[in-house]
Amino acid sequence: MKRNKIYAIGLLALATLTTTSCSDDFLEVTSPSDFPIEEYYTKKEKIEEALVSAYAPLHWFDYGTTSNYNALNLSSDIMSDDMYPNGGNDADCPYLQLAFNYSVTPLTDITGIWLDSYSGVKRANDVIKYVGWATDMSETDKSNVTSQARLLRAFYYNLLWKYYGNIPFFFENLEAPYTTEQLSADEVYAKVIEDLEDIIDHGVLKDEWDDANIGRVTKPMAYMLFTEMVMYQNDQSRYTKALGYMQSLISSGKFGLLSNYADIWTEAGEWSKESIFEINYYSVNGGRAWDNGLGAGGSVNIRLCGPRGFIAKKGDPYEGVVEAGWGFGYIPPKSIHSFEDGDARKDVTGFDIWEHGDAEAMQDCGWMFRDKTPGNYYCNGKYLPLAGGNAGCTGAGDMNFNNNFRVYRYSETLLNAAELMLKTGGNASQAAEYVNQVRNRAGLASLNSVDQDDILNERRHEFMGEGKRYWDLVRTGNAASVLKAANDDLGFRTKDWDSHNKYLPIPQDNIEADPNLKQNPGY
Amino acid sequence: MKKSRYLWLLLALMVSMVTRAQGILGTVTDENGEPVIGASVVEKGNPQNGSITDFDGNFNVKVSEGTPIIISYIGFVTQEMKAVRGMKVVLKEDTQTLQDVVVIGYGVQKKSVVTASIAKVSADDLDGTAPVRMDNALKGLAAGVNVTSSSGQPGAASRIRVRGVGTINNSNPLYIVDGMPIEGGLDYINPSDIESIEVLKDAASGAIYGARAANGVILVTTKKGKLGKVSVNYNFSQGWQSAWKHRDVLNATEYAIMRNEALVNAGQAPLYADPYQYGEGTDWQDILFNDNAPVQNHELTISGASEKINYFLSAGYYTQEGIVGGNFDRSNYTRMTLRGNFNLNIFDDSKSRNWLNKLDIDVNLSYARVKSIGVGVNDQYGGLVTTAVALSPILKPYLETEAEQKAQDDYYYKMYPDYYTPMFYEGKQLALPGVDYNEFGNPIADLLAPALPGWSHKFVTNFAATLQLWDGLKFRSSYSADLSFWGNDWYSKVAYYKPTNIVQRSSAGSEADRGQVWQIENILMYDKTFGAHTINVVLGQSAFENSGFNVGASRYNINDYSKPWVNASLGLAADGDRDGWAGPTTKHTMSSLFGRLSYNFDERYMVQATVRRDGSSRFGTNNKYGVFPSFSLGWNVMNEKFLKQTNDWLNNLKVRFSWGKNGNDNIGDFRYTVLTQGGNNYGFGRGGAEQEIVSTKAAGIGNPDIRWEESEQFDFGIDFGFMNNKLTFTVDWFKKKTNGMLMTMAIPSYVGESKPIGNVGDMENSGIEFEAAYKFNIADAKFQIKGNASYLKNKLIKLGNDTGTATYDWVQGGVGNISRAENGQPWPFFWGYKTDGIFQNWNEVNSYTNAEGGLIQPNARPGYVRYVDVNGDGKINDDDKTNIGNGTPDWTFGLTFNAAWKGFDFMMFWQGTAGNEVFDATRRVDIASSNLASWYFGRWTGEGTSNKYPIWVNNDTENWKSSDLYVHDGSYLRLKNIELGYTIPDFITKKAFISRLRLYVAAENLFTFTKYWGFDPEISSGGTSLGIDYGVYPQPRTFRVGLNLSF
Repeated sequence: MKRNKIYAIGLLALATLTTTSCSDDFLEVTSPSDFPIEEYYTKKEKIEEALVSAYAPLHWFDYGTTSNYNALNLSSDIMSDDMYPNGGNDADCPYLQLAFNYSVTPLTDITGIWLDSYSGVKRANDVIKYVGWATDMSETDKSNVTSQARLLRAFYYNLLWKYYGNIPFFFENLEAPYTTEQLSADEVYAKVIEDLEDIIDHGVLKDEWDDANIGRVTKPMAYMLFTEMVMYQNDQSRYTKALGYMQSLISSGKFGLLSNYADIWTEAGEWSKESIFEINYYSVNGGRAWDNGLGAGGSVNIRLCGPRGFIAKKGDPYEGVVEAGWGFGYIPPKSIHSFEDGDARKDVTGFDIWEHGDAEAMQDCGWMFRDKTPGNYYCNGKYLPLAGGNAGCTGAGDMNFNNNFRVYRYSETLLNAAELMLKTGGNASQAAEYVNQVRNRAGLASLNSVDQDDILNERRHEFMGEGKRYWDLVRTGNAASVLKAANDDLGFRTKDWDSHNKYLPIPQDNIEADPNLKQNPGY
Repeated sequence: MKKSRYLWLLLALMVSMVTRAQGILGTVTDENGEPVIGASVVEKGNPQNGSITDFDGNFNVKVSEGTPIIISYIGFVTQEMKAVRGMKVVLKEDTQTLQDVVVIGYGVQKKSVVTASIAKVSADDLDGTAPVRMDNALKGLAAGVNVTSSSGQPGAASRIRVRGVGTINNSNPLYIVDGMPIEGGLDYINPSDIESIEVLKDAASGAIYGARAANGVILVTTKKGKLGKVSVNYNFSQGWQSAWKHRDVLNATEYAIMRNEALVNAGQAPLYADPYQYGEGTDWQDILFNDNAPVQNHELTISGASEKINYFLSAGYYTQEGIVGGNFDRSNYTRMTLRGNFNLNIFDDSKSRNWLNKLDIDVNLSYARVKSIGVGVNDQYGGLVTTAVALSPILKPYLETEAEQKAQDDYYYKMYPDYYTPMFYEGKQLALPGVDYNEFGNPIADLLAPALPGWSHKFVTNFAATLQLWDGLKFRSSYSADLSFWGNDWYSKVAYYKPTNIVQRSSAGSEADRGQVWQIENILMYDKTFGAHTINVVLGQSAFENSGFNVGASRYNINDYSKPWVNASLGLAADGDRDGWAGPTTKHTMSSLFGRLSYNFDERYMVQATVRRDGSSRFGTNNKYGVFPSFSLGWNVMNEKFLKQTNDWLNNLKVRFSWGKNGNDNIGDFRYTVLTQGGNNYGFGRGGAEQEIVSTKAAGIGNPDIRWEESEQFDFGIDFGFMNNKLTFTVDWFKKKTNGMLMTMAIPSYVGESKPIGNVGDMENSGIEFEAAYKFNIADAKFQIKGNASYLKNKLIKLGNDTGTATYDWVQGGVGNISRAENGQPWPFFWGYKTDGIFQNWNEVNSYTNAEGGLIQPNARPGYVRYVDVNGDGKINDDDKTNIGNGTPDWTFGLTFNAAWKGFDFMMFWQGTAGNEVFDATRRVDIASSNLASWYFGRWTGEGTSNKYPIWVNNDTENWKSSDLYVHDGSYLRLKNIELGYTIPDFITKKAFISRLRLYVAAENLFTFTKYWGFDPEISSGGTSLGIDYGVYPQPRTFRVGLNLSF
């Protein structure tokens, strides 16, 4: 009997013990593989990891977060007079076809730029926040990381601003209810340009990186971005400053033009003295794949814009050199024919499909094809799918071409400087000299003097297929007169550009999810 | 067993020695004439004067004749009799108490006072259906529970939905076995160990399981020993399974005619010069199906009980060969189960004091070992069943001549010199169908490929101690553990199987998982009747943790196929040819408090309230704890005085009402917080020398407010009993609304990150359920009919994403998306075009015009399908796709019929559904050479020939978009089981010390009545694919013989 009591009391005691030993801690479970961000991003090394992730969206544009194929050249040049969308048929990547004809709607928008850029903004904001959590970083370390993140963020906002204009804007990431204020395009410009000025003035941006870190943003890249934005905004108050930046790059002696224009587009030409900023793409161990489209590696835009169904003529110099692509982003014959005689850039820019291709053998040549005579169809010769261009990749071959995307070249520095000089009433002969450096390299004679139109014309031919032309037409007020259906001699464009086309519509899902968001005018 | 008997004998002898002096002598036996040992015989009103029966059931009480005595024994109905010298007392087993009690979670309740909606399936019900798994066991037995077999593959799990699909996420019910939640490996239980299954259907009954009860709770109680007798049972059955149906497909001649016609209609040359030369051709279904596949079951149970110990021991062995590939060891299932259930009374002083007077310990020990292997099921990409239907009947499975062999070998040796080797089966060389058939290879070749066998070991133990603290007040403390070990081992052989399966390198792999779950519960129970007031209180605490670990490896280049293991392979890690992974899985913990108060007045008015507070590791920081209340009321109208006079025909009338809230905590882990994520890398470095730099980032946007999905349910029920409960009838109506279904939130994409998951969707289910039973006798024959039917209506109120729609299942070849979610519709539904006959001539094509006079179907020709312009916009496009049916039945029903006469017993169990559709996606529209169902032969061949099936054109997708042409009525009625048994008279069996020997013959799935032409109308392969037939592995028809032997 006594023993029973002891049993009973012992059992009760045990039960009480087990009951009370369960506390709130018991419900706190940690992930076996990942870390809560607040705990993780407190060390320099880890914050550097986060910074790398803010670079990652740079290489997504050519694929887009949902296979939108919005490479920075393709997605803007198609709205200019220097690129057709092409592809397999008129429904192949329909947003590109529609954007070409100024017919996108909020539901059929180019969304890759939107999604990728906002991802970049979000990640950059995070990095800046994490730096505040750091326990082992010096002020210089912090500024180094923060400056890169802010500059990347400015780059992403610049894209959002140019493509979509009036956009939701935030420097701190959103929390419930996950909406924020929409700024007008001018307000966006003001915010970003001020931030850029602050980074340039107070940040610790590097002039250049060592070989292992090439690809990171630099002070020269910041100057180019600043100037691009100032010029696109036609912000006279900052012309002098921008010109100063351009001239400091010119006088630094670190940059120069390659003597052979074609060399720019070779692998050896990557990060050459002419290069100020590039988006890195590489094929060796390139891991981009169809189920990992955002993975690091090569570019898919190269295959996308390669000549569709291309089979080289027997004995052609490009036989075994140029591979077939999917036929997007061809350059209109009219644009190629607009090069002056003797312009070395002409053949580099336009790869004449029928000069090199075997018309008999080629079957599916894609949409917009007319007759198969040379001088009739050109794909973008700057980014050709070359045999071996994707060698060594571990992912999908089509997605891993090693061509870096040239964002800013020194020739643009020169042409920016020339234009700003004219605009600020500066030394006109110096301006002509800058332009002539670019002309001479292309094998063209010097001009005695240059005006705005000369510079615009030079920019067109220097940067054809590089994603500059459309913005130049818009900022100079020439878009409405140049981008007319009547000017497309092949007749694919049926609508004229008008001022509401300056901005693409804000993608519809955002309008639905944020009732305060106003659609851009005209949509 | 022996020991306890011996003990009793000793006790009885001692007692009888004391009491032998003088008194009434008598014997106590049970209904079978077996002596009842240890029964108590006392004088009425003087319990001190009494005796206990001895080994032979004899007793001796010191009373004079005619004195009332009370004979009692646990498990038997207590009897009061007048003492007569030499009296023979026959105690009746107290089946009433067993049947009238319902397990309700942390306790039991008399059925008469139950106020919630609980379906009970007893061991007897289960015996009639011979299930292999407990999840299969419920099919057709419980109203409101829809069970769909996923396939006929041995050991296949079922899809169970209690009162409809509660959420677009995980809608699986919670399984509690002997108080322990079981999350994986439900088949560790041998169904014949089950005493009862209770399904807690309404929120009031489920609320005691709070955050896990939203999709219903299934309580499984395993068997115990019965007092008084040691029971030894051996059950054996042997069965032979075959496919009950072959699909009716074109024979070789018809196939050739159709192929030719298709080509000609497409403007191409016919392929076969003389279709008639091919005759019937090959029946690939004959080649594939493994007829008379054996299934065997052995069970041995030993059980018994005394006042101090109650035990139930069982051992089971089940082995089944599948009807598709079982003969190749590719679809097989073997299970061994062991179980020991014990109740031990440590002490019982309840007669001598009223505090701390009784301690019982319950122990359940169980172990199961399962080996299983399966072929791909319901697979449009070359599943075996699909293949057997799709391969051309002109093809032959084997190469018959040397010339044929040489031709095939020459071709493949040239094309695939490194991979191809001829394959043989039973000495015959396999023919390969070739590239025209894409994923459809020779099914024998597929079956000869090495496979992925799985294994598992599972131990589940429960220990519980119950201490009586005071009169009516008990404390119960339990610890349960579930240890599981499972994994699989695979390898691949270099071979050419078919164009889509060319194994270029051999590889071996293994994976092993372990999981452990423990649960501690402490419960205080109070149960007391004061006059007409009965009160029952349960207060409890529960905590559990589920954790696991996963480890695996794979490696290329097997050295020798006789040792297909990672360790015996040659691939090097440096070459990326050797891979390994290991790590813990995310823990799931839960800590809960719960309470229940039940009160009834005179068994007339009942009220019950339940509340549970759950804290879960899965819940967000702002909602760590959830509270789940419920409330129910009952009124036993029958116990009112004014109804007494109806007693002769109406003897039960109870009205019930309940309301409650339950949660679904199957919401994934860490969705409330933000963790790091790798793999968003970037390459830095100069041209050609870029290096990928590793990155991490925030994995997403956290939603700290995330919480369980919650369902709120009303239930109203009425129970009737007529003619002394010979006829019973129950009806329940319910309405269940799930609030806060988890879905990606409709926030703007400018947040720059994958959008968080939020509690944003709503779903509603409502329905009505009927259960009826009728028992009657005709002369010596006993009959019983039991049936149930339930009607269910499901509606997705709000999906919660941007569009209010989502598309799910996909069919290859221009058919596209075929299932969809849409606000206001049942979830999910088949999504496609409505058709309106066939254009018989050009006139009809040209007169099908829109408001502007344009052709609605500009691509159509005579013989083409006329699609309905549902939205009336004058064109046919995706916007015209609409709800063309769904796989969820409106009605689910089951019917059991039992009869017994002398030694014979007979049982039939029918089960079925109505109002559900099947989407027949078995034809691969993109593979022109695939064979066809024979109804394609009824295609349009000219004006007036068919108004349903279009002209047959090669590579035609225009007529074969997702449409109602693919949708068929999937209602069925199935004779799930029929059994005839005969019990050998005991005067014969007694001689062999056998107390009972029953022999039986049975058949499963003997008849299935359905309009659906496919292998099986019952189709589910998880997710949203209910009712989508990609080539389902049919359930077999099984003939069984068996015996039940008791000692």
